[in-house]
Amino acid sequence: MSADFCQRLGRRLGQRLGAAALGQADYRRQGYHLRLELAPDHLRELAAMMAEEGCYLEYITAVDRGGHLELAYVFGRHQEACRLLALAAVPKGQGVLSIAGVFPAADWQEREVFDMLGQRFIGHPNLKRILLPEDADFHPLLRDFQAGPELGGDEMEI
Amino acid sequence: MVGHRQEAPPVSLAVLSQVLDAVRANSLWPLTFGLACCAIEMMAAGAARFDLDRFGAGVFRPSPRQSDVMIVAGTISRKMAAIVVTLYDQMPAPKWVIAMGNCAIGGGPFTYPGQYAIVNGADKILPVDIFVPGCPPRPEALIQGMLELQDRLTQGGRTNLLRRFARYPRRAEPGGRP
Amino acid sequence: MHRQALTEDTFYLNLGPQHPSTHGVLRLLLRLDGERIVECQPILGYSHRGHEHMAQNRTYLQFMPNPCRMDYLSGLMYNHAYCLALERACGLEVPARAEHLRVICAELNRISSHLLWFGAYLMDLGAFTPFLYAFDDREDILAILGLATGSRLTYSYCRFGGVRDDVGQDFLEGIRAFIPKMRARLKDYDTLVTRNVIFVNRTQGVGVISPELARAHALTGPCLRASGVGYDIRKAEPYGLYPELDFDIPVRAGGDCLDRYLVRVLEIEQSLRIIEQAMARLPGGPVKATGVPQFITPPPGLYHTSYETARGHLGIFLAADGTRVPYRLKFRVPSFGNLGILPKLLPGTLVADTIAILGSMDVVMPEIDR
Repeated sequence: MSADFCQRLGRRLGQRLGAAALGQADYRRQGYHLRLELAPDHLRELAAMMAEEGCYLEYITAVDRGGHLELAYVFGRHQEACRLLALAAVPKGQGVLSIAGVFPAADWQEREVFDMLGQRFIGHPNLKRILLPEDADFHPLLRDFQAGPELGGDEMEI
Repeated sequence: MVGHRQEAPPVSLAVLSQVLDAVRANSLWPLTFGLACCAIEMMAAGAARFDLDRFGAGVFRPSPRQSDVMIVAGTISRKMAAIVVTLYDQMPAPKWVIAMGNCAIGGGPFTYPGQYAIVNGADKILPVDIFVPGCPPRPEALIQGMLELQDRLTQGGRTNLLRRFARYPRRAEPGGRP
Repeated sequence: MHRQALTEDTFYLNLGPQHPSTHGVLRLLLRLDGERIVECQPILGYSHRGHEHMAQNRTYLQFMPNPCRMDYLSGLMYNHAYCLALERACGLEVPARAEHLRVICAELNRISSHLLWFGAYLMDLGAFTPFLYAFDDREDILAILGLATGSRLTYSYCRFGGVRDDVGQDFLEGIRAFIPKMRARLKDYDTLVTRNVIFVNRTQGVGVISPELARAHALTGPCLRASGVGYDIRKAEPYGLYPELDFDIPVRAGGDCLDRYLVRVLEIEQSLRIIEQAMARLPGGPVKATGVPQFITPPPGLYHTSYETARGHLGIFLAADGTRVPYRLKFRVPSFGNLGILPKLLPGTLVADTIAILGSMDVVMPEIDR
C-alpha cells in the first residue's frame, strides 16, 4: 500500500522534475522513503504537486554547507507512511520562492529558517524574525557565527 | 538594570515593623509567572500533594500589582529579560525575588562558551533574595525556599509568631546550635 | 462581517507573555472589535534557549539532557525519540527488556502530560477542583517514574542502545496499583467534567478545525485526531514495541475544543492498555546493548526520525558528518504547527474563546521556541 503510493509519487516527481535527481532511500536506516535533489527554482512546483497529492508539510530546515545552504523540505502523508526529503542547494544570499501560499504551515517554518540561518524567501507575506528579538543582527545557526561578549557568550561574567 | 531597593521608612517603630514583617512573612503572595520547566514544579508545589498554602504562600496572583514575591521559575531568555524586569518594577514594595532552578541561578545547562540566547541568572537583572537549586528543584525545595524567605523577614523566625506555635522545629541560628 | 468594522473602533489587546493562560511565555497580539477578535498575531521566542545551536557544540551524549528540557511535559518521550534517532543512524539494536521499559515509561509520561493539561485547561476555563485532582494522580505517576529514572520531570532515562538502569519490584508493583486507581479516577473525571454543562457550553462548537485546514497547517497529535484524521506515528510508522501491541487511536470528527478534550481523555485509557500489555509480557534479560562505543559517531548522511509525543509528531532531523558532534540537529516540534493555526482560527471568535481554543491546543512554549 505504502510502497505503491511512494512508487507512483516517485515516478511522477521524476517525470516532472528530472528523474536523475530522484533517489530511493533506505527507510529503516534514514527515516524517509524518497530523496529528491532539485534546483531551487522548482521548489514551488514541487510544493504544488505535493499539495495535489494530499501530503502535508512536516517541516523546512536548512544546513549550512559553507558556501551554500542546503534547504531541506520534508513532506509526509497521513494515509500511509511515505516521506519525501527534498533538498535544494542555494548559494548564500540568494533568495528562493516562498511556498507559504501553497502550504500555510510554511509561513512560520520559513520565518524560522530565515531567523536561524538568514535564508530569504521571495513572496513570503511576513518574513521577519520569529524566535530571536526583532533587533537581533545575527543568524545563530550559521557555522561561522560566534557569540560576542556583548551577548555574554564567551564567559560568564561573575 | 538592577531594580531599586526598598527605602527606609521615615519613621521606624521597631515592634510595629516586626509585627508587620511577621504578617507579611505568613502571607507571601507569589506572582503566577512561569518561564520553563521549573514552572511545572511551582504548580506542583501549589497543588494537592505539596500545598504551598500551608505556609501562607499559596495565593498565586496573576497580576504583579497584587504580588509580594516573584518566583523566577525557568530560563530567562534575552527576549524575556526586559519583561521580567518590568514585571518586577510593577510589583509594589516590599517585594522579594526567589530564583528557582539552576537556569535562574546561573544559566544552568544553557551556559556554555558561545551561547547567545539567555541571561546567565536572574541576579544579573534583579535583586535576588533566595536561590533554590535543582534542575528542576523538587516542590519541597521551593517550599524550603519560601520558609527561608519567611525566616529572613522575621529575624531567623524568632519574631514569626505563627512559626513559634508550629510543630516543626525552628531553624538553627547561623553558627549556633541546632 | 466583523472584519468590516470601522477601523477606529478596533483596538489592540496584548495577551501575555506572562498571562497565566498562555502556558508559559506566549504573547498574543489581538486586534479587537469590542469583544470580537479581528486579528491575532502570536509572538514567539520568549523562551528561546538555543537548543539547536547547543547541539552543534556538544557531543551526542552531552546533548542527551537537552531534548527532555524542550517539552518538559513529554520529557521521557523526547529522550526516547533522541535515542531512537541515534540508534537508527548508527544501526544499534536494543534489548527486548529495554524496549518494554521504554514503552511503559513513555506511556506513563503521556498520561502525566495529559493529566497536567487536563488540570490546567479546566483551570483556564475557571474550574479549580479538577486541577487538584489531576495533580494528585500525576504525583502517583511521578513517584513511579522516579523509582526508575530518579527524576520527576526532566528524565534522561534512555541511553543509546537501552535504558540507564533496570527497574525494581517496587516500580512494577507501583504500576499495578496505579492502573485500577487511574481507571476509577477517569470515571470521576467523566462525571465531574465531561458532562458538566458549563464546560460543554464553553467548548462545544468552539474553535472548529476542518480536516483540510488541519492538514494545511500541519497539525498533528490530538489536535489533528479531533478533526477526524486518525494519524498517529505509533500506528503510521511504528517504532520500538508498538507494532506488537494492541491499542486504538481515539478519533473524533467534530474538530472543536470538546473533541480535542475527549481525544486526550480517551488516550489516557489507551495508554493504560498499552502499559498493561507491556507489563504482562515484560521479558528478562539485559537492559543495555553491549558494545555501544563511548563516543557515538553516526556515519555521514541525513537522517529523520518520527515520534508521537503527547502533543503530536516530533521529527528529529540529523545531518551527521562522521564526527562526535552533530553537524546540524533540527527538531520538528508538534506545538509549532499546532500553534500556527491560531491566526487563522481566532478571527471572529470572542476573547473568552481565545483561552478555550488556545488551551485546547495544549502548547508548550519552550518546545516551540527551543
